[in-house]
Amino acid sequence: MSEQYIVEMRNITKRFPGITANDNVTIQIKKGEIYALLGENGAGKSTLMSMLFGMYEPDEGEIYIRGQKVNISSPNHATKLNIGMVHQHFKLVSNYTIGENIIMGMEPTKKFLGLFPMVDLKKANQEIRDLSIQYGLEVDPTQLIENVNVSIQQRVEILKMLYREAEILIFDEPTAVLTPQEIEFLLKIIKGLRDNGKTIILITHKLEEIKQVADRCAILNRGKLIDVLDVKTTSTKEMANLMVGREVSFTTNKKPAQFKDVILEVKDLCVKNQDNFEVVKHASFSIHGGEIFAIAGVSGNGQVEIADAIAGLTKVSNGNIFLNGVDITNYSIRKRTLEGISYIPEDRQVYGLVLDFSLKDNIALKTYYQEPFSSKHGILNQAKFEEYGNKLIERYDIRSSQGTMTQVRSMSGGNQQKAIIGREIELQSPLMIFVQPTRGLDIGAIENIHKQIIAERDKGKAILLISLELDEIMNCADTIGVIYNGELQKIAPAASLTTNQVGEFMMGVKNK
Amino acid sequence: MKKFFVKILGNEKRQAITIPLFSILISLIVGMILIAALGKNPFTAYLNLLQGSGLFPKPKYSAYQGMLTDFTSFLNMMTPMLFASLAVAVALKAGLFNIGVSGQMLTAGFIASVTVGYSQLVAPVAKPLVLIIGILAGALVGCLIGFLKYKFNINEVVSSIMLNYIAQYLFSFFINTRYIDDISRQSIAVKEASRLTLLKTPIGNLKVDLPLGIILAIIIAIGIKFLLDRTRLGYEIKTVGSNREAARYAGINVGKTMVLSMVLSGALAGLAGVTYYLGYVQSIQPKVLASTGFDAIAVALLGNSNPIGIIFSSFLITAVTKGSGYMNSASGIETEIASVITGLILLFSACGAFLRHLVKRWKTEIEEQEQTRKESK
Repeated sequence: MSEQYIVEMRNITKRFPGITANDNVTIQIKKGEIYALLGENGAGKSTLMSMLFGMYEPDEGEIYIRGQKVNISSPNHATKLNIGMVHQHFKLVSNYTIGENIIMGMEPTKKFLGLFPMVDLKKANQEIRDLSIQYGLEVDPTQLIENVNVSIQQRVEILKMLYREAEILIFDEPTAVLTPQEIEFLLKIIKGLRDNGKTIILITHKLEEIKQVADRCAILNRGKLIDVLDVKTTSTKEMANLMVGREVSFTTNKKPAQFKDVILEVKDLCVKNQDNFEVVKHASFSIHGGEIFAIAGVSGNGQVEIADAIAGLTKVSNGNIFLNGVDITNYSIRKRTLEGISYIPEDRQVYGLVLDFSLKDNIALKTYYQEPFSSKHGILNQAKFEEYGNKLIERYDIRSSQGTMTQVRSMSGGNQQKAIIGREIELQSPLMIFVQPTRGLDIGAIENIHKQIIAERDKGKAILLISLELDEIMNCADTIGVIYNGELQKIAPAASLTTNQVGEFMMGVKNK
Repeated sequence: MKKFFVKILGNEKRQAITIPLFSILISLIVGMILIAALGKNPFTAYLNLLQGSGLFPKPKYSAYQGMLTDFTSFLNMMTPMLFASLAVAVALKAGLFNIGVSGQMLTAGFIASVTVGYSQLVAPVAKPLVLIIGILAGALVGCLIGFLKYKFNINEVVSSIMLNYIAQYLFSFFINTRYIDDISRQSIAVKEASRLTLLKTPIGNLKVDLPLGIILAIIIAIGIKFLLDRTRLGYEIKTVGSNREAARYAGINVGKTMVLSMVLSGALAGLAGVTYYLGYVQSIQPKVLASTGFDAIAVALLGNSNPIGIIFSSFLITAVTKGSGYMNSASGIETEIASVITGLILLFSACGAFLRHLVKRWKTEIEEQEQTRKESK
C-alpha cells in the first residue's frame, strides 16, 4: 500500500535537549505533487526535513522512499536517493563560479593529453546551460557567485539539485529572501518542476504561497502534526486558524496596562545594511512606561535592525532616538546602557554571552567596570563577582553544574537565556528591549520569561518586544506595530487587532 | 587501561595542568625511542640536556666553570624567550596573532643600541634607560599594527610580517653603513654599562654571566597574570578576544582594546629585544631576525597563553635548546635532535584538546557501563 507514496515518514520523533522538535509525526507524499509544510517558527518543519535530507537521524520512527525502508545517514546518501534540498541559508562558495558550485562534489573529468585527469569545466558549463534552459532557470555558469544577487543564487541552488538528478526537491523557506516579483517567478518555476514530474516539498509559513502552488498541506504546531489538508478546498483563513489557533495557549495573566510618561521615542528612523540597502524605512513610534510595545513581522523585515539601532549596535542613517527626552542617536553603546537601556539580543550565543567565560563573568558583562566590581583604578574585586553571580543564580533560578564557575558554553539554552535576562533586568533600565526572547526554549521556560516581561512592565518600564512568534505577541503586547519590508504598516492597541489581522499586515497587506 | 587514563586525567579542574604534563611525557617518550633508534642511550642523552642547562652537575668542569655557570647562561637564554612568549600570549588573549615579535625585538634592540649602547652613560643610568627605550620602541611598533587593524581593518598577521621585513632590512642598512664591526661583520658590541647581562662576574671561584632581566621577566609574568585576571583592562582584553560581538554589545570599545593589547604585546616584545640584543648577545647580526620571536609562538601555546604556564614552558623549551650543545659533545647526538624533541613537545601539546575529548568520552563510557552493571544487579 505504501507503493503509491514516494516519501513516507512514519511516527517520527526527534528530541533536542529541552525540546521535542517532532512528536510522532507521520507524513505521506505522493509522486508529482507539491506538498507544503506549514507552521510557525519552531514548529518543527525544518527539523523534519533535515531528517529526510540525512542531516539528523530520527530518535524514533521510520522513513520509506519509494516504498523501501531507508536509514538516511548523510546528505550524500540522500542525494543518492534522488533527494535534493535548497536550504534557507544558501550553501555556496562565493568566490567560485556558478558552474563550479553546481558541479562541486561530482565534477565531470577528462584526461588531459590522455593522461592527467582534470575537471571538464567546458562540458559541465554546457550541461548546466542546457539544464537551465530546460527548466527556465537561465544562469551564466561562468559568473562568480559573489557577483550575482540572491535570486540568482537560489536558481543555482535549484540547478544544483537538478544536476544531481534529484526527484524529490525540498525547499526550506525559499521566499524569505526574495522580492514579490522574484517570489512570483519562483512559484512559477516550482510549478514547472512539478509538471516535469518532480515531487516538491515546500516549507513555509506564508499562506498565500501555499494557496497559490501547493496541492496538499500538512500543518505542524509545536512539533505535532495538526492536520493534512487539501489546499483547493481549504481557505487561507482555515489554514491560519489551524496554524496558530488550535493549541493549548499558555495564556498569561496580565493586569490592564497603566501607561505612564513616554520613555522611548523613535522619530523617522532609517537604517541601512552593509550593502547600503535601506532595511528600516522611516519608522516612528513611542513607548510609554508600563507599556509593552511589540513589533510583529516575518523574519528579516527590519525588526532586528530597529532594536540594534536603539541599542547603538547599528548606525542610524536618518532620524532620531529619544530616551526620556534625551537625544541618544549619537551616543556610544555604553553611554546608552548607562542612560537606561537593557537589551536581550536575538542571538544569545553570538551577542549576549561570551561562551568561554564563566557564568559569573557573563553575569557581570555589563557592570564589571563599575564599583563595586572594579575599583577606581581598574582592579577587579573577584569576591563581588562571585557574590553577584550567586545572587542572580538564586533570584533567576539559573541552573548549572558548577555554580558561578560553570563555563557558559556547557549550559542549556534556557539557562543561558535566564542568565542574560537576569543580568539585563538587574540593570534596572527604564527601557528594556527583548528580541526573540523565547527562541528555541521549551514551554515552561517561555511561560516564565513572559511572566518576567509582564512583571517588568508592571514596574513601570517601557518594553520593546520583537518576536517572530505571533502567539507571543498576542499574549504579551499592549500595543502592536507590524513591520513589513522595513516599514511599520500598522500601529494599534493589541486589543483592537485579531491574530489574523496581524498576520495580514505581516504579509504586506496595506492598511486601507 | 581506559580506567587508568580516566583516573589520572579525568579531573576536569586539574586538566589544565595534567593534560599538558601528560603530553610532554608522551613526547619525551617518543623522543627516547628516536634516540634509541640512533643507537644512543636515551637516558644519558636527557641527562646531558639537563647537565648542559646547569640543572644537573656535569662530571667535570674547566677552570672558573661550574653548574652555576651553566645555569645562569641558561637563564640568560631564557629571559628573552620568556618576554617574547608573554608578548605573543597577551596578543592571543585579545584574539590577535602577533607574528611580528622578532621584528619588534630587532627594532627595540637596534634603537636601544644606538641611543644608549654606544653612549658614555654610566651603568645606573644606562641600564634602566635601555629597558625604557626597549619598552617604548616595541610599544610603538605594536601600536602601529593595532592601529592599522582598528582603523583600516588590516590583518595584523600581514602587517606584522611586513614590519618584520622593514625592520630587518632598514636596520641592516644602518648597521652596514654606520655601526659595522669590520672583524665580526656584525654591529659594534654595545658598551658594558648598557648591558643587561653582567658578563664573567666572579662568584666564589666561578665566573658567571648574570642575566639581570630574568628577575624582571618573572615579575612581569606575574604582573601580566594579575592584569589579565584581576583588572578591568584584562577583562576587556579577554572579552574582545573571546567574542568581539559580545564585547561590542557590552559597550566595550573594541578598537581601543585591540590597540592597547597590541601596545602591551609590543612593549613585551621590546623587552625581549633589549634582553636579547643587549644581554644574551651584545651585537646585532645584519639581515637576520632572532628565531626567538617565532619560537615564542610555540612556547606561548604550550603554556596555554597563561603567563605562569609560560614561565614553565619557556623553561622547558630553553632547557632542551641550551642543553643540546652539551648533548652533542658528550653523547655525540646531533644538536638537531634537540629541535626534533622540541617539535615533538609542541606536536603533542597541540593534541591537548583531542586528549581532553578522548578522556571525556571514555569517562562517560565507563560511567554508562557501571550504570548498566548496577541496573542488572
